[in-house]
Amino acid sequence: MFTEVSGPAAALQASPAVVGPAGGRPARTAALRRRRPSGTWVPYLYVLPAVILLLLWTYWPLVQTAGLSFQDWNLIPTRPKVFVGVQKYQKVLSLPELHQALTNTVAYILAFLGISVALPVLFALLSRKVKGKARTFYQALIFVPFLVTPVATSAVWRWLFAPDGGTIPAIAATLGVPMDNVFRDPNAAMTSVIVIVGWQMLGFGVLVVSAGLAGISPDYAAAASIDGANQRQITWRIILPLLSPSLVFLALMTILLSAQWTYPIIDLVTGGGPGNSSTNIYYLLYQFGFRNFDAGLSSAAGMLFFVGFGIVALVFVELSEKLSFHDN
Amino acid sequence: MAFVLATSPAQAFPPAAPTTDDGAASAQRGLASRARSKAIASLPAHALLAVLALVSIYPVYWMFVTAFRPNSDALSTNPLPGPVSLENFVTVWQQIPIGSMLASTFGMALALAAAQLLVAILASYGFARWSFRGKKVLYLLFVGSWLVPFQVTMIPNYLLVSQMGLLNTVAGVVLPQLCSAFAVMMLRQHLESFPKELLDAAQMDGRSSWQALWQVVVPNLRPALAALAIMLFISAWNEYLWPSLIMQKSTALIQVGIRAFLGAEGNNWGAIMAASTIACLPIFLIYIFLQRYVVDAFVRSGLK
Repeated sequence: MFTEVSGPAAALQASPAVVGPAGGRPARTAALRRRRPSGTWVPYLYVLPAVILLLLWTYWPLVQTAGLSFQDWNLIPTRPKVFVGVQKYQKVLSLPELHQALTNTVAYILAFLGISVALPVLFALLSRKVKGKARTFYQALIFVPFLVTPVATSAVWRWLFAPDGGTIPAIAATLGVPMDNVFRDPNAAMTSVIVIVGWQMLGFGVLVVSAGLAGISPDYAAAASIDGANQRQITWRIILPLLSPSLVFLALMTILLSAQWTYPIIDLVTGGGPGNSSTNIYYLLYQFGFRNFDAGLSSAAGMLFFVGFGIVALVFVELSEKLSFHDN
Repeated sequence: MAFVLATSPAQAFPPAAPTTDDGAASAQRGLASRARSKAIASLPAHALLAVLALVSIYPVYWMFVTAFRPNSDALSTNPLPGPVSLENFVTVWQQIPIGSMLASTFGMALALAAAQLLVAILASYGFARWSFRGKKVLYLLFVGSWLVPFQVTMIPNYLLVSQMGLLNTVAGVVLPQLCSAFAVMMLRQHLESFPKELLDAAQMDGRSSWQALWQVVVPNLRPALAALAIMLFISAWNEYLWPSLIMQKSTALIQVGIRAFLGAEGNNWGAIMAASTIACLPIFLIYIFLQRYVVDAFVRSGLK
C-alpha cells in the first residue's frame, strides 16, 4: 500500500494512525476503512488551510468588530482606543440615518423579492412552451446582465437615465412625462437603484426557476390531468409546491444578499443620496467607518445587523424546512 | 444543464403507431398541423421571452453602440448603430493605462480563482472522504460564514491588510478572499456523490489519499471544477467593494481605475461607454465561448 511515496504525499503517509487501523485489522472492508475512526489527523491537514483562512479573515475579525463596537477610535493606529461601553450602540440606535437605512433595506428586500423571485416564477411558467434552440437563445441573452461588471452597469444606466440624451428620459418625453436627473431626486433615486439591480437579478432568477421547473418530472402533471385537474390546479397544487426548494433558495439569497447586490450601485450611482434616500445598511456601515472614521459606530451598527440578519436567516431556514415540499 | 436539455412533456404521449401506408401519411399530416398549432400556441410565450431578452440586452447593446460612435454624433439617440469609429477607445487608451489595468485585473482574478479552487478542493475532499472528530463544527464554520456580511468584518480586515503593508496592492485584494466558503460547500456536494468505489480502488492500488485526490478525484470532477473555476473568476473580476477599499490610492485594478475615469470624464458618454465595454470584455468573451459552463455554474449553485 505504501510503495509509491512521493512529494507532499509522504507527509500524509508518515502518519502512524493511517498505518495503524488498516494494518492492524486487515479484515475490515474497504467501505469501513474509508470511514476511519477519529485519531488520524490526515483529514485535518486537508481541511486546515480553509479553516485557518476562514478564522483569520472572517471569524477573528468578527470578534474584533465586536470589541471595536465598545470603543471610541478613529482608525488611526497611533491614536488610543477608548473603552466607552454601550455608548456607541445607544448613539447608533438614536441616529435617524440608521432608521432611514433600515427602512430602505427592508424596502429593497421587498422589491427584490418581487423582481428576483415572484416575476421569474411568472415568466418561467408562462414561457414553458418555448423549447429547444429558441429557449437556449433567449436564456443566453437574459443571463447577460448578471455578468456585467458593477462599474459598467452603473455607467450604462447613468447614460440611459442621463437628462441630456439618455434613452429613458427621451422615451419619457415623447410620452409626455418630463424626467429630470432621477439620481438627484429624493423620490426617484431609490427606485432607480431598484431598476438597475433588478435588471441584473431578474435574468438570474428566471434561469434558476426555469432550471427548477425543468427538474420537475412531467409525469406528475400528466397524472393529475388524467385525474381531471385543470391547468390552474396543476400549477398551484403540483408545480409550485415542487418548485418550492428553488423558490426558498432564491428568497433566502435575496434576503441575505440584496444589500450586497445594491452596495456597488449605491456607491457608484447615487452615493446613498440625495439625503440618504437611497442608502442601505451596508452603505451606512461603509460611511461610518471609511467616511466618518468612526470605527466604534460602524462596528456597533455592524454587530446589530449581524445579529438581526442571523435571526432572520435562522427563522427563515426553520420556516423553509416546514414550507418546502420535497420530491422524494 | 437541465433546462437546456428539457424535453417536451407533450412527447410523453406519442401518437398511436399507424398500421397502413395511408395511415402513415395522415398521421404525418396530423403531426404537421399539430406542430403548427403548437407553434401558434407558443407565440405569446415567445413574445414574452423576446421582450425580456430585449430589456436584458438593450443596455449592453446601447453601451456598445455608444462606444463605437464617432465623437461627432456622441449624443445621437438613433437606436441603430451608425458609422463605426474607434475614437472613444483611443481616448480611453490615451487617458488611462487600460492595458495594464486589464492585465493586472486578469492576473488578480486568475490567481484568486486558482487559489480559491485549490483551498476548496482540499477542504471539500477532507470533509467528503473522512468522518473525524469536530467535522460538524468545522463544517458549520463554512455554512455560518454566510451570515457574516463582509461589511461587518471589513474594518478589522482593512486594518490587518494595512498592518501587513499591503494597502494599494493586488495581494491585499486577494489575501482576505482566499477561502471561498461557497466553493467549499459546492464542491463538497459534488464529492459526496463521487463513487466511493473509485476511491476504494485507488486505495487498494496503493495510492495515498493525496495521490487519489489528484489522480482519481480531480480528473473525474473536471466539468464541475471548470464550471466552478469560471464562476470564481467572474466573481473575482466583478468584485467591487473590497478592491475599492484597498486600492484607494491605486488604479491598478479595472473596477477602481474605471471608477476614477467615470468621475473625471463627467458627461463624455462615448469614452465612458468605451471604458465600460473594455471592463466587461473578458467576461463577455468567456460567456460567448463557455456559455454552457457559465450558466451551469451560476444556476446550479441556485438549485441546491
